[in-house]
Amino acid sequence: MKNKYVFVVVMLCVILVAGMGFTNLYVNYSEGDTSKEELTVVTSFYPMYVAAMNVVGDAPGVKLQNLSEPQTGCLHDFQLTPEDMKLLSTADVFIINGGGIEAFMEDVAKAYPNLTIVSTCEYLELLSDGDETNAHAWMSVGMYREMVQTIAMGLAKADPDNRALYEENAEIYDSKLMRLEERQQTVAEAAEGTDVILFHEAYDYVADDYGMQVSCVMDLDEERQVSAGEVSEVLRAINEDGASLILAEELYGKSMAETVQKEADVSVIYLDPLNRGDYEADSYLLGMEHNIELLEAYFVK
Amino acid sequence: MIDWTSWLDYGFMRSALFAILIITPLFGLMGTMIVNKKMAYFSDALGHSALTGIAVGVVCGMQDTSLAMVLFAIVFALLLNKIGSANTASTDTIISVFSSCSVAVGLAILSKGGNFSKYSSILVGDVLSITNREILYLVVIFGVTIVFWLVCFNWLNAVCIHRALAKSKDIPVKVMDNMFAVLVALIVMLSIKWVGILIINALLILPAASARNLSSNMREYHLFSVIFSVFSGILGLVLSYYTNVATGPMIVIIASVIYFATYWRGRKDR
Repeated sequence: MKNKYVFVVVMLCVILVAGMGFTNLYVNYSEGDTSKEELTVVTSFYPMYVAAMNVVGDAPGVKLQNLSEPQTGCLHDFQLTPEDMKLLSTADVFIINGGGIEAFMEDVAKAYPNLTIVSTCEYLELLSDGDETNAHAWMSVGMYREMVQTIAMGLAKADPDNRALYEENAEIYDSKLMRLEERQQTVAEAAEGTDVILFHEAYDYVADDYGMQVSCVMDLDEERQVSAGEVSEVLRAINEDGASLILAEELYGKSMAETVQKEADVSVIYLDPLNRGDYEADSYLLGMEHNIELLEAYFVK
Repeated sequence: MIDWTSWLDYGFMRSALFAILIITPLFGLMGTMIVNKKMAYFSDALGHSALTGIAVGVVCGMQDTSLAMVLFAIVFALLLNKIGSANTASTDTIISVFSSCSVAVGLAILSKGGNFSKYSSILVGDVLSITNREILYLVVIFGVTIVFWLVCFNWLNAVCIHRALAKSKDIPVKVMDNMFAVLVALIVMLSIKWVGILIINALLILPAASARNLSSNMREYHLFSVIFSVFSGILGLVLSYYTNVATGPMIVIIASVIYFATYWRGRKDR
C-alpha cells in the first residue's frame, strides 16, 4: 500500500532531476560567451538587422542582435517567447521597421518604457491599400536609403561616442545603394506603365519604384489557403487589363504562379522579398542587384 | 550552472506561475470525472469550439473575444449534452459531427481575407498573453469549481456510476450533467489562450489517467491527479522558460512521461 506513495515520490523526483539536468546541459550548450557589452542593439527582423549591421560596422563596445531567426521573414504572425523578452530586457536600442509589421510592439513598449525604439519607417510616406498600411518599404531602394539614415541618426543619438563612425558607415553604404538606384532608373524607363500582377504585398514598392501599373494584388506572404475567387480575379486582370507579368516570391508564390501560367499566357519573375537570408553585410545589395538584373533581362532586351 | 530562480524576476513569468497554480489543480480535479465519465472526446470537441467562439466574437464586433468564446462554449456544451442524451446515434459520432462543424465554421470565418495567421497563436497557446483580468477570471472559476465539487461530488459520482439508480434516488441527473459540462467549458475556454487548442485536452486527461493507473479509491484518485497536474504544470513552465519552447507542449510532455511511468507500474501490479 505505502509502496505506491514511495513510487510516486521517486518518480516525480526522477522526472524533476532529469528535466532540470537536461535543461542545464542544453542551456550550457547553447549559451556562448556572455561578455558584457556597453551598448546592446536589437533589431526586430532580417532586413533591419542587415541595415543596422552596415551602420554599426565594427563600432567598439556595441553588440548587435536580431530578435527573430534569419529565416523568419516578415513578423506578421510573430509571437514573443520568454527568450525574446529576456533579450529585449537587456537591449538599449530596439530597431524596428514600424508601420505595423511588429504587431507585438505595444506589449514591448509597455513592458520596457525606457527602451529607445528606432522606427525606421517613421519619416517615410508608406504606401497603403485602403486603410491598411503596407510597411514593406525596404523593397524600394530609395526608401531603404532613408531607413538606413534613420538608423544612423537613432544610433548616433543613443551612443554619441560613436557618432562619427555611424555617420561614416551610413555614408559608405548609401553610396553603394545609390549606384543600385541609378541602375534601377535605366530599367524603370523601359518598364514604366507596364501592367503587373503582384503575388506579394511587398512588391507594391517595386512596382512603385519602376512606375508599373498594379492591376491586381494577391498577398501570398504566409502559408494560407487561396479562394477560387482570388484566382479568377487574377485571370480577370490578365484578360481585361492586359497584364502580362507576374511578380512573385519563389517560396510562397510558385505553385500559384504555375497554376495561373497554365490558364493564361503570362510571364513570371520571381523576385527576392529580401526578408530572409544569411547574416552577410552585403546581402541586401546582392539580393536587390539580382532583382534588378531579373527585371532588366525582361524589360531591356 | 543555471540560476534556477532567475525566471521569477519577470512579471510575465510570475503571472504565468500564478495562473498555473490556480488552473492545474482544477485540471486534475475535473480530469478525474472526465475520465470516469468517458468524456475525453467531449472536452476535446469543446476545445475546438473555441475557434468558432472567437469567430463569432469577431463577426459580432466584440472587443473581448474571450467573452464570446465562453458564451459560445457554454451553448455548445449544453447542446452536445442535449443531443447526446437523445440517443439517436452513438455519442462519439455526434460529438465528432459537432466538433468538425464548429471547427469548419470557425476556420471559414477567421480565414476570410487570408488573415488566419493572426489567430494561429491560439493553436499552440502563448504563456505571455495572460493578463491580470484573465487571472481574476481564473480565481473566480477556481472558487466556483471547489464549491461545486464539495456540494455536488457525491451526486455527480452516483450519476456517473449508475444513471438509473441515481435517478431513482431523486438525484437531478440532467442538471448534474449540464452543470459539469458548463464547468468544463468554462475552464477549457479560460485556459485555452495559453495552453492552445491542440493540446488542452491532454492537460485534462493525462493527470487523471495517470492517477487511475495507480489509485485504488476515489480519494487517492483525486490526490494523485492533482499532484501530477500541478507538478507537470510548474516543471513545464520552468523548463520551457530555460529551453525557450512553448509552455503548453512542455507541460504536456511531462504529463505524458508521468502517464507512461504509471502505466508501466500499474501493469506490473496486476
